[in-house]
Amino acid sequence: MNFKIRRAAKEDCKDISRMIMELAVYEKMPDQVKISHEELERDGFCQNPFFECLVAEVPEEHKSNEGFTIIGYALYFYTYSTWKGRAVYVEDLYVMPEFRGNGIGTGLLSKAAEIGKKKQCVRLQLSVLNWNTPSRDFYAGKGAQDLTVTEGWHTIRFDGQNLDKLANEAPKD
Amino acid sequence: MDFSIRAANLDDCKDIARMIMVSGHVRACVRPNLEQDGFSKNPFFHGIIAEVPEQHRTREGHTKIGYALYFYSYSSFVGRSIYMEDLYVMPEFRGKGVGKALMSKVAQLALAAGCHQLNFTVLDWNKPSMDFYLSQGCFNVTSSLGCHCMRCEGEALEHLAQP
Repeated sequence: MNFKIRRAAKEDCKDISRMIMELAVYEKMPDQVKISHEELERDGFCQNPFFECLVAEVPEEHKSNEGFTIIGYALYFYTYSTWKGRAVYVEDLYVMPEFRGNGIGTGLLSKAAEIGKKKQCVRLQLSVLNWNTPSRDFYAGKGAQDLTVTEGWHTIRFDGQNLDKLANEAPKD
Repeated sequence: MDFSIRAANLDDCKDIARMIMVSGHVRACVRPNLEQDGFSKNPFFHGIIAEVPEQHRTREGHTKIGYALYFYSYSSFVGRSIYMEDLYVMPEFRGKGVGKALMSKVAQLALAAGCHQLNFTVLDWNKPSMDFYLSQGCFNVTSSLGCHCMRCEGEALEHLAQP
């Protein structure tokens, strides 16, 4: 299948937002999505963007059943390890179901890795849900290690009222 | 005990590197280039330092006795987020609220920047740290949602990055 991987433009945010919702449904968390294309436009295309994004595009003749040509994306940002240095974190990797099995997911992930490598990143990290066997197999096939299984790493989060409470306890300047 | 929390600057890199290297969980590693990675035009991280007055300095004469390193991240579900990469207090200064103060400051900076989440990782066998964090009101995303941390590096990353 003919497809192209390119950097997302601001105009792609509506499509990216559409696919974020599809991913949320797949991950069984549709009610967790609180942002729209407007936040993506503001946060991804400002002076110091919070993230970068790649999109996968197909020609008109291969458009989806609903008429979309933007049919996959990878959203990533740069992180840091005080042990190893620069890294890239792939927050989302998604390909619409009807376009899977054509190397598009690999294309998006590889492009993110290539971009990271150009910035001297020595790691590429991401998270995957433990029941998501197709994705776990996909990443294992790329040589990714599961640090939760091998080393016992757990992700911890403060949000909502707990985050507010923690912030209120900060020492006064 | 009297201590202050402030933003890290270029001059603090030596002390941050010292504390990274002596952290109990770190094996011998190459000193990261903190100066370039944290204090150039598009920094990969930001830091805050915990400092004590001269009269409380360590035996070796250090007054910078703790730090937190963080960077901005993004959740496609909720937007702007912050990730706390390191939180460290020298052993002789623990139990005095310094770690809590550093973490609270990161939370405060998160809210000021419009972030909705503060994320970090902890090793499941590290009970003192896990208990501390849970007592502060966070939740374990890995245990509750089954979210696993994955990494590609070395040869696997080289192979992946080939166009």
